[in-house]
Amino acid sequence: MIAEKIYHKVKSVEEAIAMAIEHTDDFRYLAGGTDVIVNQFQGNDEKNCLIDITGIEELKQVKSDGNFIRIGSLVKLDELKNHKIISENFPALLEAAHSVATPMLRKTATIGGNILCENRCIFYNQSKWWREAVGYCLKCDGAICIATGGKKNCFSKFVSDTAPVLISYDAQIEVADKNGIQQIKLEDIYTGDGLQPRNLSDSAIIISIILPFDKRYKCVFKKLRPRESADFTSLTTAVSVDENGRVKIAVGGIDPKPIVTEGKSVSEKDELIKYIFKKSRVVDNDYYSRPYRREMITVYLNRSFEELSQL
Amino acid sequence: MKILNLTINGKHHEVLVDAHEKLSNVIREKIGLTGTKIGCDQGSCGACTVLVNNEPILSCITPALRYDGASITTIEGISTDATLYKLQEKFVEKGAIQCGFCTPGMVMTALSLTPTLSKEDGVASMIEQIKDGLSGNVCRCTGYKKIIEAVAEYALEEKGLIEKKEALSDSSSEKVGMGTVGIGRPYIEANKKVNGSAEYADDIRIKNSLHAKFLRSIFPHAKIENIDTSEAEKLQGVRAIATGKELPVKFGVLPISNDETAMAIDKVRYIGEVVAAVAADTEEIASAALKLIKVKYQPIKEFLSIEESLNDVGENEKIHSYGKFNNNIHKKAELRFGDQQKGLEESDVISKMTFEFEGVTHAFTEPHAATAYWDENGLTIITATQVPHYLHRALAKVMEVPLSRVRVIKPYVGGGFGGKSDPFPHEMIIAHLARKTGRPVKIRFTREEVFISNHGRHPSKMTLQLGVKNDGTFNVLDADIAIDGGAYGSFGVVTSYYNGVLLQAPYKLNNFGFKTFRVYTNKPQCGAMRGHGAVNSRFATESLIDDLAHKLKMDPVEMRMKNFLTPHTLTVGEYRITSNGSRESLMKVAEQSDWKNRHGKLNTGHGLGVACGFFISGSALPIIWNELPQSTVHLKVDFDGRVLVTSGASDIGQGSDTMLAMIVAEVLNISMEKIFVLAADTLLTPVDMGSYSSRVTFMAGNAAKNAAENLRKEILEAVAKRNEIAVEELNLINERIFSNDKKIDLSWLEAIDILTTKRGAVSISGKYISPKLGGDFKGAGAGLSPSYSFGACAAEVKVDLETGQVKILKVWGAHDCGKAINPLAVEGQLEGSWHMGIGQAMTEQMKYYKGLIVNNNFLDYKIPTSLDTPDIVTNIIETIDPEGPFGAKECGEGALHPVIPAIANAIYDAVGVRITKLPIMPEDILSELKKMKQVEKEVAV
Repeated sequence: MIAEKIYHKVKSVEEAIAMAIEHTDDFRYLAGGTDVIVNQFQGNDEKNCLIDITGIEELKQVKSDGNFIRIGSLVKLDELKNHKIISENFPALLEAAHSVATPMLRKTATIGGNILCENRCIFYNQSKWWREAVGYCLKCDGAICIATGGKKNCFSKFVSDTAPVLISYDAQIEVADKNGIQQIKLEDIYTGDGLQPRNLSDSAIIISIILPFDKRYKCVFKKLRPRESADFTSLTTAVSVDENGRVKIAVGGIDPKPIVTEGKSVSEKDELIKYIFKKSRVVDNDYYSRPYRREMITVYLNRSFEELSQL
Repeated sequence: MKILNLTINGKHHEVLVDAHEKLSNVIREKIGLTGTKIGCDQGSCGACTVLVNNEPILSCITPALRYDGASITTIEGISTDATLYKLQEKFVEKGAIQCGFCTPGMVMTALSLTPTLSKEDGVASMIEQIKDGLSGNVCRCTGYKKIIEAVAEYALEEKGLIEKKEALSDSSSEKVGMGTVGIGRPYIEANKKVNGSAEYADDIRIKNSLHAKFLRSIFPHAKIENIDTSEAEKLQGVRAIATGKELPVKFGVLPISNDETAMAIDKVRYIGEVVAAVAADTEEIASAALKLIKVKYQPIKEFLSIEESLNDVGENEKIHSYGKFNNNIHKKAELRFGDQQKGLEESDVISKMTFEFEGVTHAFTEPHAATAYWDENGLTIITATQVPHYLHRALAKVMEVPLSRVRVIKPYVGGGFGGKSDPFPHEMIIAHLARKTGRPVKIRFTREEVFISNHGRHPSKMTLQLGVKNDGTFNVLDADIAIDGGAYGSFGVVTSYYNGVLLQAPYKLNNFGFKTFRVYTNKPQCGAMRGHGAVNSRFATESLIDDLAHKLKMDPVEMRMKNFLTPHTLTVGEYRITSNGSRESLMKVAEQSDWKNRHGKLNTGHGLGVACGFFISGSALPIIWNELPQSTVHLKVDFDGRVLVTSGASDIGQGSDTMLAMIVAEVLNISMEKIFVLAADTLLTPVDMGSYSSRVTFMAGNAAKNAAENLRKEILEAVAKRNEIAVEELNLINERIFSNDKKIDLSWLEAIDILTTKRGAVSISGKYISPKLGGDFKGAGAGLSPSYSFGACAAEVKVDLETGQVKILKVWGAHDCGKAINPLAVEGQLEGSWHMGIGQAMTEQMKYYKGLIVNNNFLDYKIPTSLDTPDIVTNIIETIDPEGPFGAKECGEGALHPVIPAIANAIYDAVGVRITKLPIMPEDILSELKKMKQVEKEVAV
């Protein structure tokens, strides 16, 4: 009657993928688990097999590799600061990591888990009973999006704080699945569909995050939230400029995916900001209202450019 | 099931666990170490923090199997011998513990935090790091101030930045003859709370208990057509299922609003109302059974807003059938004094504004929990309650048994703030299930259920006008108020009056009146919450005063000073004001904030604001009319010289047990070690009305004082009689009973020997009955209190002109509590009140979507974290009330009132925007700023 629950600890990526194949459609990889376990508690995630990957030692390293650094996906958010290579070259990543959740959660949550953090919506991140009472939304097999009062798209918001910074730093990720290992641009894994926010295959595991460290980025990170701790983002902005003056902006919290744009120089500032503003699909599923969050996109990005010029 | 090996606090355990079982469940339920608390089940509150291989983790979101073979330290394991660990001592000493529910998690977090603190940038930076490090641990009592102090002192000592201080040994705080009252001391149970041994309702295990779970309505307003429990009954492990029809007797905290049944019978009135209950062998089975219960609802038109509920319902069905009119108005309260019309006509300047307040809730850290069982003595319930006495009465009524067959026991309670001051449906339901099954039945709420139960502050809308003379004298105050009560009455009739009547002070008003409508809506009920009834209308009044001061170009501090009532006077509604520290309070915060030099003179975006407050010190009238004293305290002294204090007063973290002990120690002039407090057990302790209306120190304190004086008299009389000397010749000082000529000089124990000779243990009673007060008109009883508290706050803010975001830099608070019996505890109450007020001002609100509470967890209901809490400067103002015990008045609620308007007035000073809505949303500030710019432009054109 009730499917058997399984908890399996694996020691290698291969073992994890094999396990995943064995439990196709009914498993969840568990890194820190701070997101998955809460979603399970709420009944948003009912997978019976949890594959605990925290025993895979090779995913816990931070290594430099030619012009790149590789951050293992299981490096905890709180541990990033212990790596000089990160604090010296990518300080905004530390800021972003520090802005996630609470100190205790950052000691458990991993960087890989953060970039894969499930999209959120106040009509979705609720108990089963609650969702039944409200009339299930699209993201839990209902017919319509409740936040928008009836649209047929899911606008659950993208909430990772580290991903926008990583994207603005031109991060790539190394992903393993049953078909082998591939390297892709981080922003390319996000679909913009709130129901299926990422396009990685079922058995995919992020091995590492790869950052180029020869480009001397300057980056400004900002996060809008009601309190100075604990809160998921209402708007996360990351604006980076590399040594050639190329600008890259990634913004979270305003759409089912991070909105990303690039420009040749900061002189394109206004167009870049306008682009982000236009591309965003903010809906009323947050502490702050839709108009306020939209308005803040421009304010935050303008400020970021100002601060960049002073770095 | 899997076998899990754990070493917990040095002891090896092998336990069978479910594959996805949480570590917290293993620690609490399987190992039995209940010091680790569950506050939210979602990793958002920190109460479940334990160390795994010396790293802190949140055990409520950690699968136990992850840590097979690991070494775990819980709160019970951080001290290896009988003494407390140094950090625990600091928590005790600094008064960082109130209800104690967050304490174990807080201590574990702080312990793991200390080694990571960097001392490179000095003390201030280290304190910032501590604030950051604790920002994932929710404390609702302390306002974090004393916790940060405790951790900082510990960390600074550990890092060698300050010299290690010896802990206050018991003897130094117990110095006999130094007096007890007025000297700050930790709670008598502080050690238990800091080492995890204090038992809260969910920690208590009664043998053979069943577990209850509730099926809750998914409709705001619907007829129940049928409930089919047949499938659920078949589930193995289900022992009983109950539905509303089985408990038809209505109850409610106020006799005039007994409008609630334990479970919905014919219809549901809010989403979340209980429609059926299951008692089963485990919580899991009970939950599975709920899914098999089929309820057929017929939804009917719901009423969700004040406006809708004020109107005629037409053909639709009212929420409650009673009442003369065809609308959902529950109560209209109106009182008028003087001549308001004339007052308005004769005013030189009038300010009139409309305000809107979202509901807020108590958000105590301990979810409701209880266990009930029946035996030869009838019903016993151990429950997290503030009001054992009212629950006692309600249970007898609903269970239909004599009062003599009900016993209510209050264990340690993890905060209340008014949210545990009603008799609750869950208490009735488990009592019923226990009777039905013949077994103890236990319930513990999820955090979501706590939010659904609510009973918090009413969402309100109000229009107030204040008229003044050109010289700043207040001439008239009028308030037109509507409050949203939710589906049931609770304390609502009182709330309706308090919104109005508590505006008649601290300022002198000759023409004053109000009208309040309380409406029913199809939402969880609202009730009493810290500062009950008057927090919102006080905000409105203090905003109007600020506005008028600006219009008259008067200093807002001066304007208030000009209008304060004097001590020992009557208000326009015939409240008897005794001691009154308004002036001293306001002066204090004005001085400390450098008001004169800074208000109105700071740069744009930077502001300073001030406001005052006023509250009752215990309701002079009991809720259920009777001739009992408000509080009775018994003292028993036996051959061993120990004094047993028994009192019905409910310590919910505010420190009332300690207060009682201190008062008895003071009167008898004996050491606190000779005193034992037994409280809040309706079988063993005499009646006290409960912890509500800020009454306990004043009333139970007075009863304790009276009892101790009576005992003192008996002791002296016995000694006098034995020695054939006049009682007046005898003294009781310093645990010695001696005559003026010292010919008689007895130790305490020798005197007790004399007292108990041929008599045995002596029991003495003391009581408090409030004097007859108030005017002779209908409604005169509302807000009557034998004494009132006063206070003031100043706040300094910065407002970001582009984002509208407000940062509170500092709060200065001063509160007239008459006399601080335990200054450490009083500071804790004040700081906690201000912190809670900051929450309501800035981020807290009960958000509903079509009657469904949206932000039902600690992530989305935004209590200020340690990082959001500004520096707080705490001032106790003492005015020695003539009737309070040793001059004491309340300090646990009134302090909340001034802080919210002080913040809003500071925002006005910073950017010229008048806040009329709570919580203060940055977007509201922005839109006001834009309007102002537009006006400026138009003026320029």
